[in-house]
Amino acid sequence: MSFTLHDYVLSGNCYKVRLLAQILGVAYTVKPVDFHPGKAHKTPEFLALNPHGTLPVLESDNTLLTDSSAMLVWIAQQFDTTHTWWPTNDAHRLALTVQWLGFSAKLTESIGQLRLHTMLNRPADAATLNTLSTENLRELENHLCEQSIRGLAFLTGDQPTVADIACFAYSALSPDAGIEHTLYPAIRGWLHRIRCLEGFLTMPGIYEAHETRNEHTAAS
Amino acid sequence: MTTQPVSLSRDLAEKQVMRAELSDVDMAVWRSASGVVSAWENRCPHRGMRLSHGFVRGESLACAYHGWHYNCEGACHYIPAHPELEPPKTIKANLYNVTEASGIIWVNAVGTVSPVTLPSNTQAVRSVSVHCSLEIAAQAFKDYCSLSPITANTRTEVVSESPYVLALKAPLPANSPTPSMQDKSNPVSVFIALQRVNQTTTVAHITASEHASETDCIALSRWANKVRTHAEVSVGSTE
Ligand SMILES: N[C@@H](CCC(=O)N[C@@H](CS)C(=O)NCC(=O)O)C(=O)O
Ligand code: FES
Repeated sequence: MSFTLHDYVLSGNCYKVRLLAQILGVAYTVKPVDFHPGKAHKTPEFLALNPHGTLPVLESDNTLLTDSSAMLVWIAQQFDTTHTWWPTNDAHRLALTVQWLGFSAKLTESIGQLRLHTMLNRPADAATLNTLSTENLRELENHLCEQSIRGLAFLTGDQPTVADIACFAYSALSPDAGIEHTLYPAIRGWLHRIRCLEGFLTMPGIYEAHETRNEHTAAS
Repeated sequence: MTTQPVSLSRDLAEKQVMRAELSDVDMAVWRSASGVVSAWENRCPHRGMRLSHGFVRGESLACAYHGWHYNCEGACHYIPAHPELEPPKTIKANLYNVTEASGIIWVNAVGTVSPVTLPSNTQAVRSVSVHCSLEIAAQAFKDYCSLSPITANTRTEVVSESPYVLALKAPLPANSPTPSMQDKSNPVSVFIALQRVNQTTTVAHITASEHASETDCIALSRWANKVRTHAEVSVGSTE
């Protein structure tokens, strides 16, 4: 069953859904929402659809979802015939996937908020958000260091799950919030592995791995 | 200024470019497809774009902005906007001296590079960044050498003052959760090489003897994270 995504091109949470859909080859309808500068997600019409006034929103015949993690689970469970992205056959990995989906929401609260402040001048306590973002990135870096010592390439094991997609977006976008990846070598390696996945999708601020670029590509 | 570590060899794969800062010198460090490592001023000779935003094409680094290609000697050999043109020899990236030894990439931005001689039979553990000066970080790694989960009986030895390298010898008591470190006949050593990013940021590049187990390395990684916390608290309390 396909779906409609209420989408904004610069939104990290919308990007998560687009990225997984692209990797799994799922076709869907996009309804662009003028998040900035139009604030279309705060209009009465939109609030009638999603009272939280946030993007993304996923609509299908019998589902209406307002949380990106829930959307990733919904899409994987329906369209991933390999059952690896939402690993329901493995209690351990499934539980870890839920755990890191929870962590991804923290990244939205820290890096996501700091990015809105940096890019759109949203009023915010930048120092506090910066401290929180660093704490979160260090937690992720610590975990990915341990995974690499174990010889595991992704958050929950040797294959990516919806949790990797969920954590990827704001980790990759942290330079938009003024936090570079220079001091996070394990995160850097993991971001690169995700960018190399078959079917990877870009967004402004997140580019494809150079290996997959055309020869002699250059911005003009 | 002297030679300093900028990365564990493991963390810069073939065809990758990274940014590194060394005593406030901004550089692009990259590895070619065949494995050659280069460290350059992080500034494209064309219009000054950071070369660390670029991408590796075989044995060349290409700038992200207008795609000029530079070979391992730093010479520009291809300009996409003028594909027929042979670029003048004067267009050249600013190269620093770089070498790989004992699983670490060492750079000297102003002179010859002379890495610290360490045993070659080591494995990468991790690099961890600490928000404090190199001196405070060095003291913390020494002071907390017997902090859980590595404990007791650890001896420290300053292998080199500049670049600063600390060795931990034969950590861990009999009841430790990391059995391979206790082997008296073949003790595990840990090496911590410090990079001065600037006055307030230091990176510790950590390696351990080859025979350290997975459990040992994870214990070391957690220990390094704890030492970081202690070092940063000590900075906070003196400010
Ligand atoms: N829990 C939601 C959070 C979504 C969210 O915060 N979206 C941002 C855009 S990326 C938003 O709509 N924020 C509302 C605003 O900042 O006005 C999810 O993960 O989908
Ligand atoms: S600035 Fe590097 S190619 Fe133009």
